[in-house]
Amino acid sequence: MLLRPTVNDIRLISYNVARMLLISAAAGLVPLAWAVLAGELAPATDFLVMVGLFALLGALGVAWKPAHDRLDWSHGMVVVALIWLVVPVVGSLPMILSGNFGSWLDAFFDAMSGITTTGLTLAQDIDHMATSMILWRHILHFLGGQGIIIAALSMFSGAGTATLYFGEGRDDRIYPSVRSTSRFIWLAAIVNGIAGILTLTLVAYLDLGFSFLRSFFHAATIFMAAFDTGGFAPQSTSIGYYHSAPFEVVIAMLMIAGVMSFGVHFALWRRRSVMGNLETKTILFTFGGTLLLTMIGLAAARAYGSAAGLGRQAFFQVLSAHSGTGFSTIPSSELATWGGLAFGGMTIAMALGGMASSTAGGVKSLRVGLTIKSIASQVKQVLLPEGAVISDRFIQNGPRHLTDELKQGVMVISLLYVGLYLFGGGIGLAAHVPLQDALFESISAAANVGLSVGVTSPSMPAVLKLTYAFQMWAGRLEFISVFALFGFLWSLGRGK
Amino acid sequence: MAQTPTSASTLLNSPEEFNGKQVTVVGELIGDYGLRDDGTIWTQLNGDPYATAPLRDGGRLSGGNIGIGVHGAAALFSGLDGPGRYNRVGPVVSVTGTWRYHDPDRGGETYLEIEVLEVVRRGYPLKEAVSMGTLLVGSLLVLAAAGVLVTIRRRS
Repeated sequence: MLLRPTVNDIRLISYNVARMLLISAAAGLVPLAWAVLAGELAPATDFLVMVGLFALLGALGVAWKPAHDRLDWSHGMVVVALIWLVVPVVGSLPMILSGNFGSWLDAFFDAMSGITTTGLTLAQDIDHMATSMILWRHILHFLGGQGIIIAALSMFSGAGTATLYFGEGRDDRIYPSVRSTSRFIWLAAIVNGIAGILTLTLVAYLDLGFSFLRSFFHAATIFMAAFDTGGFAPQSTSIGYYHSAPFEVVIAMLMIAGVMSFGVHFALWRRRSVMGNLETKTILFTFGGTLLLTMIGLAAARAYGSAAGLGRQAFFQVLSAHSGTGFSTIPSSELATWGGLAFGGMTIAMALGGMASSTAGGVKSLRVGLTIKSIASQVKQVLLPEGAVISDRFIQNGPRHLTDELKQGVMVISLLYVGLYLFGGGIGLAAHVPLQDALFESISAAANVGLSVGVTSPSMPAVLKLTYAFQMWAGRLEFISVFALFGFLWSLGRGK
Repeated sequence: MAQTPTSASTLLNSPEEFNGKQVTVVGELIGDYGLRDDGTIWTQLNGDPYATAPLRDGGRLSGGNIGIGVHGAAALFSGLDGPGRYNRVGPVVSVTGTWRYHDPDRGGETYLEIEVLEVVRRGYPLKEAVSMGTLLVGSLLVLAAAGVLVTIRRRS
């Protein structure tokens, strides 16, 4: 039987949620300032409302400070799940006020897609959208990818804050303290950001022939979406807008940087090899495999007249799918025609996802690697003579032991992902979406990818919008925080 | 000159059917005029309802944009108004050219190679309608938040 939360529990949770809302208010000042500078005064007032609401809710929550501020695991998980709901709710305000969305649900869907770094969109007429609004959607990617919680942890200290870190689906501890780890994550983002934005700006200015200011704008937004494996783009035709192989190469490098865990970033900074890690081997194997599948499928369908064209388009699309970014260089109407092996390659790539503790979604390579290792171990057990000792060790930043507890944890989360994929697919089928499209779109939402075969549109049924929004939320938080919130709400009503 | 008058939507839905054919498409030029070193320009042509009825000029929400990449000599674009963006409706043009689907010479890209460009309607700036009500609500919220935060600080 769950215990009914006390008033202090609720104050503790609201206090911690409130601190994150104050950070969100500060983040909202960026598009507000941009709107004023760019002369976009109507969006500026919309952002003022959002910043004001974030700040007021944050201030009220902080004012209602609890008697003690020690977070236990359940508090931390509930705080994380709530943050990832409240930020898109308030963050969608300027979107609905902008007139680019058909309903509040559409705007909420977009904000949820932004913060979960998914990239599916219900925005209409993006090509005439205010640049400040485009910037805000990308800042949501950045906040979600880097982690609002991470931002808070870098600034605030407090007993039990580690639970917030783990609640956000991260399990890397680069430094002994969570605060130092959080600061490293932001440092990695800033260094990659400077390098990425500078390179993209130069390519856009020198190769694409854009004006310098527009080059910088495209570079900054594309960087946030690529490094945080988001998928929003400043133009409706995504990366296909640029018609530039050099620009795609830089974006591909940023997607690769985004798909790497921050532990790998740290190791590379320290010039340590990560090639022996199970996770690195797994992601290289699955990326190679899904790319090969997709290329064979496209070649069999005679989709491209040249090997260079097939290679370039397949590589970019599969990398985007596997990293969970969701950029594309082809329209969704064309992606919808990719059948057979090409469809299989893309779908598997999306479902598997990137590295653990990265900004990518999906099952994650470490879990895939451990699942394969567990199965191999079971098969060996059967084939080898009775009493034979089987090594259950693997390398992941040093030798590790594959314990039964670890196997169980990996299996549970992996199965939950499969269940979430099937759940969305089932709702899609019930909404009369063809099986292949329903499965593709469901995996894209749940694995926070953002590629679409055209199902996601403002005209899709509300139940499907809610389903995909739920999938993005649950998939991004890797379930546990979501279950903790449900448990908390249940105990509020039925606890003893 | 135009052998097959069509729309951006038709081209996107049946891209292979028009491969290598001359087509004429009408739409709004959008985004940027990317001037390349070879003296050509890449940009986007939108054939959606917003091209003729912009959202902020009395048009209604009509779903996502429908755009195709267009490419042509820079001289074709000289004298054109700036491309469509937030505060500007781009020129609506009729372009005639060859539809290139998965062009092997351009790494599998799909686009329209323009040979003729005619202006159907000039671009024009859009005026913003700033809501004083929204400004007031936003200001009050910020003031209220500041008041609460100042009170907390004084108490502590």
